[in-house]
Amino acid sequence: MTQHTLTADRRTSWLPPVPLISAKFLELRKRRTLMIVTAAFTVGLPVIFYGIRLLYHLGNPARYAPAGAPNAFATIGILMAEFGFIAAAALGATAGTTDLTDGMFRHLVITGRSRLALYLARIPAGLSILLSLAAAGFTVACLVTAFLGSPQAPGAVTLSPGAMAGAGLWLELYLVIGFTVGLGLGALMGQRTVPVILLTVLMIIITPALASHALPYFLDGERLVVGVAMDQLQPAALAGGTRIGPGGGAGLQIPPMPTWAMITVIAGWITGWSAIGAWKMAARDA
Amino acid sequence: MTTIAEHGGSPHPRAGQPAPRQAGDWAVEVHGLTKRFGTQAAVDNVDLLVPRGSALGYLGPNGAGKTTLIRVLLGLTRADSGTMSLLGVPVPAQRARALARVGAIVDEPRFHGHLTGRQNLKILAAARGGDAEKQIAPALDRTRLTQRAGDKVSAYSMGMRQRLGLAARLLADPQLLLLDEPMNGLDPAGMHEMRDMIRSLTGEGRTVLLSSHLLDEVERTCDQVAIVDQGKVIRQGSIRELTGAAGAAVEVQCSDAPAAARALGQGTIASRVAVSEDRLTVTLAAGPAREQAAEIQRRLVEAGISVYSLRQTHASLEDWFLSVTSRFGGEQ
Repeated sequence: MTQHTLTADRRTSWLPPVPLISAKFLELRKRRTLMIVTAAFTVGLPVIFYGIRLLYHLGNPARYAPAGAPNAFATIGILMAEFGFIAAAALGATAGTTDLTDGMFRHLVITGRSRLALYLARIPAGLSILLSLAAAGFTVACLVTAFLGSPQAPGAVTLSPGAMAGAGLWLELYLVIGFTVGLGLGALMGQRTVPVILLTVLMIIITPALASHALPYFLDGERLVVGVAMDQLQPAALAGGTRIGPGGGAGLQIPPMPTWAMITVIAGWITGWSAIGAWKMAARDA
Repeated sequence: MTTIAEHGGSPHPRAGQPAPRQAGDWAVEVHGLTKRFGTQAAVDNVDLLVPRGSALGYLGPNGAGKTTLIRVLLGLTRADSGTMSLLGVPVPAQRARALARVGAIVDEPRFHGHLTGRQNLKILAAARGGDAEKQIAPALDRTRLTQRAGDKVSAYSMGMRQRLGLAARLLADPQLLLLDEPMNGLDPAGMHEMRDMIRSLTGEGRTVLLSSHLLDEVERTCDQVAIVDQGKVIRQGSIRELTGAAGAAVEVQCSDAPAAARALGQGTIASRVAVSEDRLTVTLAAGPAREQAAEIQRRLVEAGISVYSLRQTHASLEDWFLSVTSRFGGEQ
């Protein structure tokens, strides 16, 4: 046994060190089923979508538009946001609960490391997986749109690189929200199944239903739903893409909200759920 | 020997015992610790002192509050009242500093099953920081897991998980190890291995606080023992002294052990009589042992029971434990 003095060290800092983030990244990356589902919803979705369109177009060019038509870009953008949100929620809920369910939480707490740092380490670890996969999938959509699209009609939305990049950022923001809310809800509940179900219902049923119906006297309440705020922030490149779910085809029917309000709602969901998850992690008996 | 008063008084040495130590001599120092779950006190006004470099068995029946005490010491759950320090550092006030050189196994050690043993240790080393990563290989080597370190933990046996738990604790190069039921689920060979490992750790000057309900294991592994019952520490001291104080015992082989137990139980000759198959173990009451052994033989013969052999022994920790804990103390 070596002799050391017991001195205060960086373990009390709330900032997670890089090795801790890397360790959590490793833990998530090695979950094969989770990675397959996440990859399927982020990369697999545009690959299959454009693959099918390409085959149809090649089979009958007169009837089926080129694979990379602008409306296809809008459709896949919305689909990737919806399914990506669910994948993000699943990844977040997993990141928020596996230490607890696998029995590692206690080991980690005994190290003396700040519980807040343990919680915060999950965010960059999970997002680095999620956002890189989503970026890969979105790159597929951009490449097909750029190289396998049709000449655009006068007056049509121009899908410039800048417009596509804006759509990409919006999509990534959607996934950040899904991940952080899933993480916070998972940490709060201590299990991942219910949070994933709740967030799927939010995305597939509640959000499209609310976005397509302006409820008198409850307009401000509807605007507090993060999906509604995100729909208002939706970039022009994705205009025409429709949500799946009840009333999704009707598109956004709620009067526009100010930009500051959208940003406040979105930031509130991210920071609010992160704070709830971190609080629960700090307060939980290990 | 240090006795803790049943009503939570401070430890005070008995005559002939070493002088009181300095505060810094204790690896674990607990005063008046209470932890309640609702109205039930799982830890009830406990005072406990663990000398540095010793192996102390924290011994009690299931539900006595052993695990809760360790959880409170580690800050896994909050105490309702009392003061504690680990290695001279107050907890929970300076918990991170105290835990820097503390390793602990609480309950059955569980890990990420989809990761290998080495990857699990890597995660824990990352959380611990400092030189912990460099301790992974030595810890695996010491727990004889190097060959299987690349296998997924889901494929590990219970014994291997226990050893991995110990390896995880060694990442801290700990001065103090808190081990909660480390023998649970181990086969005899695994128990032997764990026992050897614990002994070698104490041999290096590390302090071990081992909670267990396995008296035999505590007797073989530890030099000190604290008996806990219903949340209270009721005795603390060295095993040799405690079992010595429990007195002598006589092992009797006879024709009808249950009848013999009844015959002896009516008098004041035995403080405790334990029956197993065809033999009795009689813990003698205070008094000359030889005369009492003769009296036992006389009574059994008078009761019409054939005595095949009668051998004088020392009371084991088990005999003593059963005589002082409330759950069993009233029997026989």
